[in-house]
Amino acid sequence: MSSAAGSVAPLGGIRLRVAGRYTTSLAAGVLVCVAGVAASGFHTGFPRRWVLGAGAPNWFDRLDSWVTNNQSSNFFLHTIVGGFSNFLNGTTNDVVSALHWLTWVGVLVIATLLAWLVGRWRTAAFSALMVASFGVLQIPNGGPNGIADMWSSAMTTLALMAVAIVISTIVGIPLGVAAAVWTPVSKTLRPVLDMMQILPAFAYLVPIVVLFSIGNPAGIVATVIYAVPPLVRFTEVGIRTVRRDVIEAAESFGATRRQVLRDVQLPLAAQAILLGLNQVIMMALSIVVIASLVGAGGLGDPVLQALQTQQIGMGAVAGVLIVFMAMWLDRTSGAVGRSRGRAAVAAGRRRLGRRELLAVWAGVLAVVLVSHYGLGLGDWPAGWGFSVVDQVTNGLNWVTTQLAGVSASLSSFLTLQVLNPLQRFLGDFPWWLLAGIVAAAGWLRGGPRRALLLAGCVALLGLMQAPAGYTFQGTTSYDFTAWGDAMQTLSLVIVALALDLVIGIPLGIAAYRWRAVDQALRPILDLLQTLPAFVYLIPVVALFGVGNLAGVTASLVYALPAAVRATTLGLRAVQRDVIEAGQAFGSTRWQLLRKVELPIARPYIGLAVNQTILLVMAEVVVAGLVGAGGLGLDVVTGFSRSEVGLGAAAGLAMVLMGIVLDRLSQSNQTIGGRRE
Amino acid sequence: MTATNGAPGTERVERSGAPLVRVRGVWKIFGPHPERLRGSDDLDLPRGELLAKTGCTIASRDITFDVGRGEVFVIMGLSGSGKSTLVRCITRLVEPTAGDISIGGQDVLGADARTLRELRRTKIAMVFQHFGLFPHRTAIDNVAYGLEVQGVARATRHQRAREILGVVGLSGVENAYPDQLSGGMQQRVGLARALAVDPEVLIFDEAFSALDPLIRREMQDEVLRLQERLQKSVLFVTHDLDEALKIGDRIAIMKDGRFVQVGTPAEIVGAPADDYVREFVRDVPRGKVLTASFAVQPHAGEAPESTVRHDARLGELLPVVFGVQGPIGVVGADDELVGILDRRMVVHILAGREGGTVPEEPAGTPGAA
Ligand SMILES: Nc1ncnc2c1ncn2[C@@H]1O[C@H](COP(=O)(O)OP(=O)(O)OP(=O)(O)O)[C@@H](O)[C@H]1O
Ligand SMILES: [Mg+2]
Repeated sequence: MSSAAGSVAPLGGIRLRVAGRYTTSLAAGVLVCVAGVAASGFHTGFPRRWVLGAGAPNWFDRLDSWVTNNQSSNFFLHTIVGGFSNFLNGTTNDVVSALHWLTWVGVLVIATLLAWLVGRWRTAAFSALMVASFGVLQIPNGGPNGIADMWSSAMTTLALMAVAIVISTIVGIPLGVAAAVWTPVSKTLRPVLDMMQILPAFAYLVPIVVLFSIGNPAGIVATVIYAVPPLVRFTEVGIRTVRRDVIEAAESFGATRRQVLRDVQLPLAAQAILLGLNQVIMMALSIVVIASLVGAGGLGDPVLQALQTQQIGMGAVAGVLIVFMAMWLDRTSGAVGRSRGRAAVAAGRRRLGRRELLAVWAGVLAVVLVSHYGLGLGDWPAGWGFSVVDQVTNGLNWVTTQLAGVSASLSSFLTLQVLNPLQRFLGDFPWWLLAGIVAAAGWLRGGPRRALLLAGCVALLGLMQAPAGYTFQGTTSYDFTAWGDAMQTLSLVIVALALDLVIGIPLGIAAYRWRAVDQALRPILDLLQTLPAFVYLIPVVALFGVGNLAGVTASLVYALPAAVRATTLGLRAVQRDVIEAGQAFGSTRWQLLRKVELPIARPYIGLAVNQTILLVMAEVVVAGLVGAGGLGLDVVTGFSRSEVGLGAAAGLAMVLMGIVLDRLSQSNQTIGGRRE
Repeated sequence: MTATNGAPGTERVERSGAPLVRVRGVWKIFGPHPERLRGSDDLDLPRGELLAKTGCTIASRDITFDVGRGEVFVIMGLSGSGKSTLVRCITRLVEPTAGDISIGGQDVLGADARTLRELRRTKIAMVFQHFGLFPHRTAIDNVAYGLEVQGVARATRHQRAREILGVVGLSGVENAYPDQLSGGMQQRVGLARALAVDPEVLIFDEAFSALDPLIRREMQDEVLRLQERLQKSVLFVTHDLDEALKIGDRIAIMKDGRFVQVGTPAEIVGAPADDYVREFVRDVPRGKVLTASFAVQPHAGEAPESTVRHDARLGELLPVVFGVQGPIGVVGADDELVGILDRRMVVHILAGREGGTVPEEPAGTPGAA
């Protein structure tokens, strides 16, 4: 009796909510249309005269000058920031030297051996292949000082990754543990982590550069900020989800809190923590190119150069090398996670005893010593490799010419019929009306507080602009209207998002319905999800040239897997017996989908929309590198002209926009009416 | 004419000396500001209304009981009646709202963190419904855990753990991980883990509910066998009446956080305190639970032709009842005659009528004797 009542209530709740959503979106739609009609007469946007003091960019310029002037005298800047920066620099250089000292033979042997110890033969062979590719795949003039092999660049990237990952671990795991043990810590951290995950990395590059100036330390700090949130989350969740009765069992034997943590919670969370570390590695590699923007060396540099000078072949090869490094580290770290499985341990899969292990490492040391001192080896021999840049360029050109007809018409249609009108419409849209609509939608989603927050963000976004004719630090004058640029970014986001949902949700449903579709999609989605954001820019530029369209396409492809996956997952989460109940009443497949599965999966699909929006936004911003207009381009311009004020103000505008988009697409209702 | 609680057959298991576990007036209220409920009328609201009004759930209400040394005390009740909460209060895995609890004379609720830990380490051990085994430790390390937190050296605790694993019939699986063992074996590990610290009090929280009927019976027998040898004080939570009747010396029936009846199996079955308990025991095969003392009438001086013991199960008496013509005497613990067996009542009871009382004799029916 009570169980029946219990299971009916949430279903009823969902139905109500769905009805509520329809009315909401309907009302919102009507409102937007009315507003649009009204707006066509206004041509206002955000008033150009409204500037905060001397303008937001000016604050940042002044802050930057202040930092520059006080670098040596201010305790915080000098001792703490400067000291940390020196430490990072020194450590990175040490690791780079160590990698060079190991010689290419040493690196190759160690990478292979590690992979073999934690994984299978296949993992080891794969690792060897990937590491060898750093020397074999060459790019004329791609490396530092015009050398062709990328070995040295790869070692720099590896060193940067190692330092960033170690720092992420030192910061992330204790934070996660603290959050799991003390609820107040968790409550304080949650919004901060949310924020960090919403923000496109572009948003905090400039402040980092202000503090750490251009160079490896800035790159590492940006990487850590970007990569650490998932580790904290995984650690906390891992510890918190340890089964209550297992903890209680330990307590019932009189274990202290510390003993419970050490004996039970941490070992049982190990899997989750390793997964978090794996995430850190992947995130860190996906931001390599962006880190190069703030002066981190390594493999990101040639990609950045290639994107800025449209040398597609070079960008593609360098990008592939980064992807190879990602795949190598992902496989190896993933194997660690798997081999920690209890069954594996129990099956006695530990390859070597302690003594054998010692012998093997001694052997490795001997090999390194012989290579280094005996054979005088160093980096990968320049002759042992070849350049495929020309072939790749030719291949891409060939594809581009083949598709020229299609891409040109698609390009002109999207640009002329969709993007430009949308951009004009949004640019002219009165800011107060937009603020009002956003506030209303926010109210429906999360009550008056959210409405106020969102309207405030919209207004503040407009206020980020520079006064007309403002001369930036670098003495160029660049008309920075935050509002116009944000609307341009928004138009790109809207188009990419709409296409993503139109393509992604049906694909997700199809993957749920038909095994064959699922199986065909799975490897593609897997691949797409491991590719770092910048990789998408390369083929897209080949196809559409630099500009908005490249940005839209890259964002579309980048976020598509999330839309598809979340839809499928949501549908899969529908309980078997609920579906059977539907079938028992003789529903057709279509009825089942429409009346049972989709409504129940709706909260998940809402989540998919939220995820997709954030991913699209992140990529649209990064696409500033290939000339997609808006706030991303402002940041890129800021960097290329060393104009801190511009980059920082645009970054802050991005933060505000990110908050608005995230909070709008996220409702207070949690999945299944449950709060974790 | 009626056999009531005071009847000589109530086999109260009174062991020597003071009770080991002493629980007095324990309350547990979940929710905000339980102190506000003290003495208020809200205490009597039905649980749904109480929850809506105050956000509180009362899981234990004024619970009082003792468990003697060597006694098996069963707590029984439907899901949500507060059984788990009550037994967790005893070791303060759940902090009681009010009351007094002592174990072997040691005050539990007043104990500081260190004393409490000491108590948990040495005096009490628990066996859990879903086993609560540490999945990342081998069977032997699971069993040794209690000793490990006490700081016992590895060799010593492993030796002890190996011994105990032998006692519960699990020699040979020391190095298996829990997920490599069957459910029954896992719970044996759980049992061994509890026994390894040689506690005075053992708590079983629906320890066998997750097992299939056969394994379950096996585990019950195991507990009875061990109890015979070890004579622990056992608190055994279950929602299965058969299990309760089988292993309980005394049974408490719990409903909405309250004990509605406490008594021996025979008392519970033979004289249910209210409809709730009556409903519980309705389908119990009485012949296997009720004893001759439930069907005794005063003897009028006649010499019994045959005698039975007062604690003989009624079901086993049928051959005597129908095989002997004359009066059948019932003798007590010291072989003294306590009365004459009422044949008609035996039949009534076995036929499933009310346990302790006999309906008025219809007129004209020939007397039994
Ligand atoms: N941590 C808690 N917070 C709030 N209410 C709780 C908590 N733990 C238990 N309760 C409530 O106390 C009541 C008694 O729960 P308890 O788990 O003791 O029941 P139980 O008799 O063991 O049931 P079961 O047979 O299902 O295990 C239930 O109504 C439950 O909802
Ligand atoms: Mg329970």
